[in-house]
Amino acid sequence: MRRTCLVLVVLILCAAAVFAGGKREEGVTTLTIAGRDGAFGTAMDLATQEYTRQNPNVRFEILKLSGAELMEQTVIELRGGTGAFDVLLVDDPFLPRIQDAGWLVNLDDLYREQGLEIDPDLVENMVNVGRYPYPSGDLYALPHVGNVALFAYRHDIASRYGYSAIDTWSDVLDIARRIDAEGDDTVPVLFRGVQGNPIVTGFLPIFWAFGADILVDGKPAFDTPEALAAVEFFLELAEYAPAGVTAYQATQVRDALLSGAGAMAIEVWPGWIGDLENPEQSDVVGKVSIAAHPGQVKGSSSMIGAWMVGIPRDSRNIDAAFDFIQYLTSAPVQEMMADKTGIPPTRHSVHHIPRLQEKYPWYPAQLAGQISGSVRPRTDYWPQIETVFGDYLQRALVGEVSAQEALQQIQRRVTEVLR
Amino acid sequence: MRNTDRLAHNAFFYAIFAPALIIILFLTTYPIGTILRDSFYEYDFIRGTRFFVGFDNYRHIIGEELFQRSFQNTVIFTFAASFLEVFLGVLIAFLLYGEFRGKRAASLVIIFPMIISTMVICAIWQIFYHYEIGLFNYLLGLVGAGPVGWLTDRQMALFSVILVDIWQWTPFAFLIIQAGMGSIPRELFEAARIDGARSSQIAFRITLPILSGQILLVLMLRTLDTFRLFDKVYALTGGGPANSTQTLSFFIYREGFSFFNFGRASAASVITLFFVAFLALFYVRKLLREDD
Repeated sequence: MRRTCLVLVVLILCAAAVFAGGKREEGVTTLTIAGRDGAFGTAMDLATQEYTRQNPNVRFEILKLSGAELMEQTVIELRGGTGAFDVLLVDDPFLPRIQDAGWLVNLDDLYREQGLEIDPDLVENMVNVGRYPYPSGDLYALPHVGNVALFAYRHDIASRYGYSAIDTWSDVLDIARRIDAEGDDTVPVLFRGVQGNPIVTGFLPIFWAFGADILVDGKPAFDTPEALAAVEFFLELAEYAPAGVTAYQATQVRDALLSGAGAMAIEVWPGWIGDLENPEQSDVVGKVSIAAHPGQVKGSSSMIGAWMVGIPRDSRNIDAAFDFIQYLTSAPVQEMMADKTGIPPTRHSVHHIPRLQEKYPWYPAQLAGQISGSVRPRTDYWPQIETVFGDYLQRALVGEVSAQEALQQIQRRVTEVLR
Repeated sequence: MRNTDRLAHNAFFYAIFAPALIIILFLTTYPIGTILRDSFYEYDFIRGTRFFVGFDNYRHIIGEELFQRSFQNTVIFTFAASFLEVFLGVLIAFLLYGEFRGKRAASLVIIFPMIISTMVICAIWQIFYHYEIGLFNYLLGLVGAGPVGWLTDRQMALFSVILVDIWQWTPFAFLIIQAGMGSIPRELFEAARIDGARSSQIAFRITLPILSGQILLVLMLRTLDTFRLFDKVYALTGGGPANSTQTLSFFIYREGFSFFNFGRASAASVITLFFVAFLALFYVRKLLREDD
């Protein structure tokens, strides 16, 4: 009796193990997307639901991860070659690192095989972000989220000091000084001061506008007079930032801007300001201008921070995934996602839809930024460079080291990293 | 017992013990062995390239200012947090000793922080610490003091993280000490009182010596746990401002999962492991001596 029971239990367990995956539906393809959380995740939900409605045989599993988690998962899964992901969201600075390992499918080949061409409606500069080597190699990812860093300022406050537009960083400093001198409650300048990526991302448009660069001919170029002028300017401007700015993240910048507590934000991303003109969420409707960054010794230097979508080489559903990513970057889907979630499109035509332009008045500046914006350096060592840069920039910000010392240290450390 | 019986008994004992022992040995020695091996390589996980570099990873890491600061912060955090948690745990256990109305409710309230997720705790404390709208600066404002950059001032940030850990884990120390105090026969205290001992004498000459084993145990557990501090730093400060809250675990995480430089991450892990093992050995020896 005991033996019979034991055999029965083992048989049941074996059957359970065999059918643990559930009954597979005939002819149904399930695409697994390694994606982002927040508005990006909501946008992906909308797109996939609509795609499944049109293609009932394709279902989706979406992983909604934070930026850091996505990077970790991507590396672990793709390195393992498990084929766990069919569609992958990639932050643009990370793309060269991934493609250096050869983990993504060559989309140029797929376009050729299917007799298709890349739609010229997609902003060419954004498409090139998905090329490896940048900007003219083969295409490995399509532009999904057209993020570009922009500059935000209260035009009602700026006009009080005689500025109808802000053209240079010196104008920004002048307005900040005058707001401060008036003893106004408004915080003159906002930015993300957290060490690492946030502070670097906020600072780069200033760095570039002062004629500095991160790498010149593949070598670090931090210890230069241009870089020193940029950092000294940044430190001077930071005197007009909130006292707790070293802990400021996107939420704090956005809240201060939407509540009217801040006059200028040196860095905003389209995803942060979707509610700027929504009277239920914003106290500054019609008072904030969103524009390309000011220039200084060089012209305006918007920074591209696109999220790209690609197909892992080990995916078992490459054709289905290719069809989906074309759908995801198509004009109707970008329009729907922009309308419902504020995700910035990457197509010319969607930027010109009057209804969206009315809802998001910064679309012309956003499109201009996409067309002419710069990308962060294409190097495998960008995470290390950004970390070193961000660490010392923040140390200069809190007064632990001078601008000169910070730049010398960055130069030394980045040289070591690149060696 | 005959020799054959003893042999059979031992064989049976080893047979049932062996699978568990093999699994445990494999689960502990294999990862440690892998980390030890990788620490001698320049290992780029993304490319999958590995070059033997001997002790270079160790030499570079130990010479780096960031690693030194991470180590210093970890040591400060470990000793400050664990000693204060144990001190406060003992104090609360003494205060709540004996039977009184509301003791159960008070105990429940005290252990509450321990059962909340660390991420939730960090979110709550981040609001408390907020420079402009935080509770602490509001209270300071009420007494006429200026605001403090709890998480933004590099002199304060590590202290602020320590405070959160103390808030969360003092209840753990309290629970163990309270259990220890509960096991002391009451007659001992009554006899001491009859002999004319004062409360302080009972506390310092009777209770604390009896509880020394529990105190050492909780001190060891908290020391080993705090030495691996990661989650609070990740959620509260991200290692900033200006690396003032960088810890060894955070350093390893950054090397491993931001840079995917597994050689350096492994070398830093081995150094951490060495110190944790040293601390554990120190406490275990003390505990064993207590037992003797």
